[in-house]
Amino acid sequence: MDKPIPSRRQFMAAIGELASAGWIAMNWPQIAFAAEKAGHDMKGMDMGGSSHTALTTLTAAEAAEVEAIANLIVPGGAKPGAKDARVIYFIDNALGSFFVGQLPAFRAGLTEFTNSFCTKFCTSNKSFSAASEAMQTAWLHEEEKTPFFAAVRRLTVLGLIALPKYGGNSEYKGWNLLGVEDNHSWAPPFGFYDIDYPGFEPYPGTKPYTA
Amino acid sequence: MRRNPNSNAPRRKTYTTKETVDFIVVGSGASGGIMARELSRAGNSVVVMEQGPRMAPEDFEHDELKYRNLSGITNSPVTNPQTFRRDESQKAERVSGRNPLTYARIVGGSSAHFNANFWRLHEIDFIEGSKLGPIAGASLVDWPITYAELEPYYTKVEWEVGVSGLAGSSPFDPWRSKPYPMPPLPVKSSGVLFERGARKLGLHPYPAPLAINSIVYKDRPPCVQCGLCGGFGCEVMAKSSSVWTVIPEAEATGKCEVRSDSYVYRIGMNAAGKATGVHYFDKNKVEHFQPARAVVVCANGSETPKLLLNSATSSAPQGLANSSGAVGRYLMFNKGGGAQARFEQPLNEYKGANVTRILHDWYDSDPKRGFYGGGGFDARSGGPLTWGQNVPEGTPTWGPRFKEYLESYTYWMNCSGHGTSLAVESNRIDIDPELKDAWGVPAIRVTHKDHPDDLKHANWLVQRAVEIMDAAGAKQIDPGEVGASSGGVHLLGTARMGNDPSTSVIDKYHRTHDVKNLFLCDGSSMVTSGRGQPTQTIEALAFRAGDFISRFARAGEI
Repeated sequence: MDKPIPSRRQFMAAIGELASAGWIAMNWPQIAFAAEKAGHDMKGMDMGGSSHTALTTLTAAEAAEVEAIANLIVPGGAKPGAKDARVIYFIDNALGSFFVGQLPAFRAGLTEFTNSFCTKFCTSNKSFSAASEAMQTAWLHEEEKTPFFAAVRRLTVLGLIALPKYGGNSEYKGWNLLGVEDNHSWAPPFGFYDIDYPGFEPYPGTKPYTA
Repeated sequence: MRRNPNSNAPRRKTYTTKETVDFIVVGSGASGGIMARELSRAGNSVVVMEQGPRMAPEDFEHDELKYRNLSGITNSPVTNPQTFRRDESQKAERVSGRNPLTYARIVGGSSAHFNANFWRLHEIDFIEGSKLGPIAGASLVDWPITYAELEPYYTKVEWEVGVSGLAGSSPFDPWRSKPYPMPPLPVKSSGVLFERGARKLGLHPYPAPLAINSIVYKDRPPCVQCGLCGGFGCEVMAKSSSVWTVIPEAEATGKCEVRSDSYVYRIGMNAAGKATGVHYFDKNKVEHFQPARAVVVCANGSETPKLLLNSATSSAPQGLANSSGAVGRYLMFNKGGGAQARFEQPLNEYKGANVTRILHDWYDSDPKRGFYGGGGFDARSGGPLTWGQNVPEGTPTWGPRFKEYLESYTYWMNCSGHGTSLAVESNRIDIDPELKDAWGVPAIRVTHKDHPDDLKHANWLVQRAVEIMDAAGAKQIDPGEVGASSGGVHLLGTARMGNDPSTSVIDKYHRTHDVKNLFLCDGSSMVTSGRGQPTQTIEALAFRAGDFISRFARAGEI
């Protein structure tokens, strides 16, 4: 039967009362793993976190336009893109909390972005998000040097990789894209090249020594 | 059974503001924690003042957004703003979204969030002025102490605080009196590739000395290889941060109180020219005065000069301990340069301690290069959130090819060069004439322009990094860009030590030349920058200063 996994706080409290160093060595990886799992879930309340799954800052129309841009920055496909990772909820959360100071400029940039698009391409009040992907891509190439695009790009990358508690990186899909596993502790080998490391070979004339 | 002092410790000693304590230590970081331990173990009553909160192990998170982008545990540009300018002809401005000078603002200070690279200075660092100076536009001078005088304290850091490593493995290491108390941490793929490339070039990479436990040491567990050292607190307490090491030991004396959320904004002075204590704000921004017989400022290379300058009196209108005019001047950051490289197979650099191999072949400055400068290299990882912000030249910033780049994260590593910065008199911290922080305290203004040799050396480091990564078999190399410095985390030289009171702020025992019972010890004390990993030197200086200050106290010389 699997050992029960105590809460993170219980684990941490236990560290100060350890009976022996051996206990630490034997138990720590499990402790740390459980601790971090709990930590992902519980922290970040003061920074707008905790399961942000509804729009609270952007309007639905604004969000649709921003999400369309984000999904061009990191498109979907065989592996998840910005939309799959629900990056829009991170952006909405960020602009309503820790990046709230950027919201006025962001909104102004979005308005200019959509108005400019419409002026050039709209024949029947068609929005950027409703345009064809080819048209969206072409327009984004024209806009990619603007501060607004830079802001959306930054928020998209942050939303893809920041912890899910902030709204994006849903189900760790962003981390999956990067190849990052969600774990707290690791043990060697860490990657391909340290698997067969033969050990440190001393240089002629040196005498490495240990305590 | 030894009791770990970090949890459920016996009731901690507290003092009232009506009591005059022997010492106030301002700052609880790399130097402040050690100073508190040494002074309290010598029998002195000590109050440590820390601006930030005290965090328990369970309060630290693996949250890269919060810790690297939102000032989770560092000085915030919102509440602790600073301004920056290149030279005195410019009006200093706030930098969007960040502060030029960054430090951790919690109990443990920057020792809580450092990468834990613990490099000793070499013998040459203390005598470069006489060996290589003078250099036009710089103030390259000798330290008033030698490596031999500091060596016992380097060893004390390694054994008392806890450092892992392999003594004698580098042919370029300075002499040492004892090995490290712990073996090195296991190598990771970046270390293997770095070692492979460097050895092909005839260089001498070796296991990195780190202030991280590789085995159970002093009742703290070994590293769990979580991969997030730099910028993060270590919730398993494997990183040898003051908050887990010397501060609990100071408190265990029953003579030391660590007063968190206590922001010292002025040092009190009497008519006789002696320090009387400190004025500070508590958590609720209520002002208090804590009297003391002596004050030791260990607030880091930015906050220490700020406090001295903000403590100006009618008899010291240029700031406290500033008759030389050197307070805040000679600001050094450690200029560096490196390269990012992609390999055929995954390295998974998000796993494991940030650094496992370094080299010091180019530590010494070589006049044949045509400029001053020396450095060391390490193989280094970075968190995915930080990595994903930028792309190599030629890689699109959006679209399918950008997505492909994101998918390659686990195949990349950094080869980072860490180098010297020359002390330049005009590079300084002073007080902004207009800006104030959230407490109404006048804020820091930074004036900084790289010495031309620092830029040349940084570019030289980039070239060496490219060579190492090429020799290691990298499939793609992205050389780092060397730009003008706009701030840093190594905050050095701003209250330099020296024998001459007309050119330095403190003497070789860290006593200010001007105020008998005022001492300073942190990065500000350093006369030259070293090669990029200053914390072990700061801690060795703190052990040494604590030793001497305790002797002065016993002899009634304070």
